[in-house]
Amino acid sequence: MFNHYVKGEFFDEMFSHTSRKTFPHYECLLEHYANYDVTSLSNKQRLIENTFLEEGITFTVYGDNQGTERIFPFDLIPRIVPRKEWQLIEEGLTQRLIALNLFLHDIYHEGQIIKDQVIPESVVKTATHYRPEMQGVKVSRDIYIQICGTDLIRDDKGNYLCLEDNARCPSGVSYLLENREAMKRAFPNLYSQYKVKPVDNYPDLLLKTLQHLSPRQGHGPVCVLLTPGAYNSAYFEHTFLARKMGIEIVEGRDLIVLDAYVYMRTTKGLEQVDVIYRRLDDDYLDPLCFHEDSMLGVSGLMEAYTKGNVALANAVGTGVADDKVIYAYVPEIIKYYLDQDPILQNVPTYLAWREKDRSYILSHLDSLVVKSANESGGYGMLMGPCATKKELQDFAKKIESEPRNFIAQPVISLSRHPTICEDLSIEGRHVDLRPFVLYGDSIEIISGGLTRVALNKGSLIVNSSQGGGSKDTWVLND
Amino acid sequence: MLSRVANSLYWLSRYLERAENLARLVEVNRYESLDSIDPDPWRPLLYTTCNEKIFRESKEQDVGMFISFSEDNPDSIRECVAHARENARMVRDQISEEIWRELNRFHLFIRSENAVELWKNQPETFHRRTIEFCMLLSGLIHATVLHDEGWHFMQIGKLIERADKTTRVLDMLAYYQGIAPRAKLASALKSCSAFNAFQAEYRSGISLDNAMSFLLFSASFPRSVRFCIQQLDYHLHTVSGSPIGSYTNEAERITGSTLAQLNFSSSLNILQVGYHDYIDSLQKQFNEIGQQVFDTYILLPLEIRSNTNSGTRRRQNDHQRQQQQ
Repeated sequence: MFNHYVKGEFFDEMFSHTSRKTFPHYECLLEHYANYDVTSLSNKQRLIENTFLEEGITFTVYGDNQGTERIFPFDLIPRIVPRKEWQLIEEGLTQRLIALNLFLHDIYHEGQIIKDQVIPESVVKTATHYRPEMQGVKVSRDIYIQICGTDLIRDDKGNYLCLEDNARCPSGVSYLLENREAMKRAFPNLYSQYKVKPVDNYPDLLLKTLQHLSPRQGHGPVCVLLTPGAYNSAYFEHTFLARKMGIEIVEGRDLIVLDAYVYMRTTKGLEQVDVIYRRLDDDYLDPLCFHEDSMLGVSGLMEAYTKGNVALANAVGTGVADDKVIYAYVPEIIKYYLDQDPILQNVPTYLAWREKDRSYILSHLDSLVVKSANESGGYGMLMGPCATKKELQDFAKKIESEPRNFIAQPVISLSRHPTICEDLSIEGRHVDLRPFVLYGDSIEIISGGLTRVALNKGSLIVNSSQGGGSKDTWVLND
Repeated sequence: MLSRVANSLYWLSRYLERAENLARLVEVNRYESLDSIDPDPWRPLLYTTCNEKIFRESKEQDVGMFISFSEDNPDSIRECVAHARENARMVRDQISEEIWRELNRFHLFIRSENAVELWKNQPETFHRRTIEFCMLLSGLIHATVLHDEGWHFMQIGKLIERADKTTRVLDMLAYYQGIAPRAKLASALKSCSAFNAFQAEYRSGISLDNAMSFLLFSASFPRSVRFCIQQLDYHLHTVSGSPIGSYTNEAERITGSTLAQLNFSSSLNILQVGYHDYIDSLQKQFNEIGQQVFDTYILLPLEIRSNTNSGTRRRQNDHQRQQQQ
């Protein structure tokens, strides 16, 4: 089945780049898949996708007034990560999260890192998601990022690099869990041969992480998940997690703040809420504080929060860490707070607000990827090598007029993984990896991650909104 | 339980009940229209579902399509299922996976082209399939979730809808102003799945008087109005925790008084009030009960009543002041 597979110029997850040899951890899989032809595999796949549709495991497509729901396309060839590689990832992510947390605490308190001139104040305070309201606020347990979904990619040598930290409301963990269920059903024998680390403890870990934050002593913590509502693209995930954790899923209109305490409205009256796992951006949390026309938030929530009467996960203002200019400083941040070298490297990043970097960017625009500092989902970026002349010119103008908002990186050709394509061939498709990290009593990383695949030939964009799919990710026990 | 969740569970099961009753009503009517010389056999059905005006304004010309599939018709079978599913989506964490999956399959089926094709070529199969989906869901609601407060709200929604639909079928007979032919009486009973049950109880044969008494007053037929209201009374009291025979809110009071009236009425009383008026006043009472359930358990001011700190009182006062102005 893999006889016609073309590895190409890229790092391939299955086949060694130095020889045509299969990586040892994929041998068993290849042997097993030899029992199938592509048609029967693809039938299996269609069956799974149909189950996803019937079970409503979908995301809502924006900009479509029909509220169309789509499944996240799923590929049947799993990605396998050997234990050694995973250990490195775990160490790297743990280090990163601890450093980012110290950084957030610092910039919202003494600002020592600014005083020591490691990061200019102007960069921090002009970050779109910097929240001056959080200055001096004590957050529960001093943890800012409870849930982090860092995006990792591999370069042409197979080194894991960190592409971005999603420190606000990372999503996708429900697909990870559902993909695992589907694979266990589809390939029970192969799965048990491999001794894969389980992932289904995630909801328990998440609940513990949330409970750890509760400000109320002597009372079982009441945790809720705050969703923007049924029309949000990740609504499936919200209900999924709330159900698995056994907590209430609430909308803004279900909550009310009285005397700086938060309550939910129930048929039996009001019930006090201690911890809110909010899947709502800072901007919409509280119309009294941020967007005043937000219908999704809760009036007075920020007051209750800053007084310490309710905990939010993640904390308000963590988006500073998602700013791509701040991202460029993460290696320095790690060095500054932990006095360690970063275990996971960043992608080399040029900052347009630095004059030297800017002139480099402008003169090499056609070979770089340019990203705006605060967009996500694969939007607001320029792929230099594929751009038209007009696009390059337009972007150059944008960069010159708002240098703070742009960064540039060399094009990293993400690693590829064999993937079943629409025409029933098996071809290499680019992948990334989003592991999920929880910071509660201790740091816990779910053994696996969401492997996203750019299903379109040649594409490097893995986002679900732009033709991305996903694979199950198997982390091996030995 | 969150008030919004209670509300969604209520509507989830109410819309399912509506879809089921509608499918049965349409199927019975369709079958009968095969033999009918009436040039406009669907008229009574439109009349009874109160959708005549919407139909005239709709671009959908075909009554059958209008009742089953039209988006213009907020109560078409397809729309009912969509509403039920939308409510289920909002409370997915509160219902069982089985309920969600079957409801989602139902929704995918009914909005597919296959469903329209099936309806055109084998309407009976289409209606039966629709009813089966509803019954399956009703069974799952019974057998796969806790019979707790949320479940009681689902029952409340279902029973109000069921009682209402039975009165609408009865009202269809009023359309014939007391001279309903036997076939119409039989189809009214069939529309409520009541034909066999009726025959078991009334050996003497069908008459308007018998059919009406059965559908209104039967103490043991699960779709009779009296039976529904009695059950409703039970569920309302279970939710509030107050003993049956007393009341702690308006929903309970009106239900209790409606039940007493049904318990102690006969067809003679109906004739005195007038057939249509009697039915009409029942329907008004059902609406009022639905509204009162909403006011009691879903709306804000009364929720706040249970909390007594000063901020609450201030807000409550503000609220009252606003109402006075």
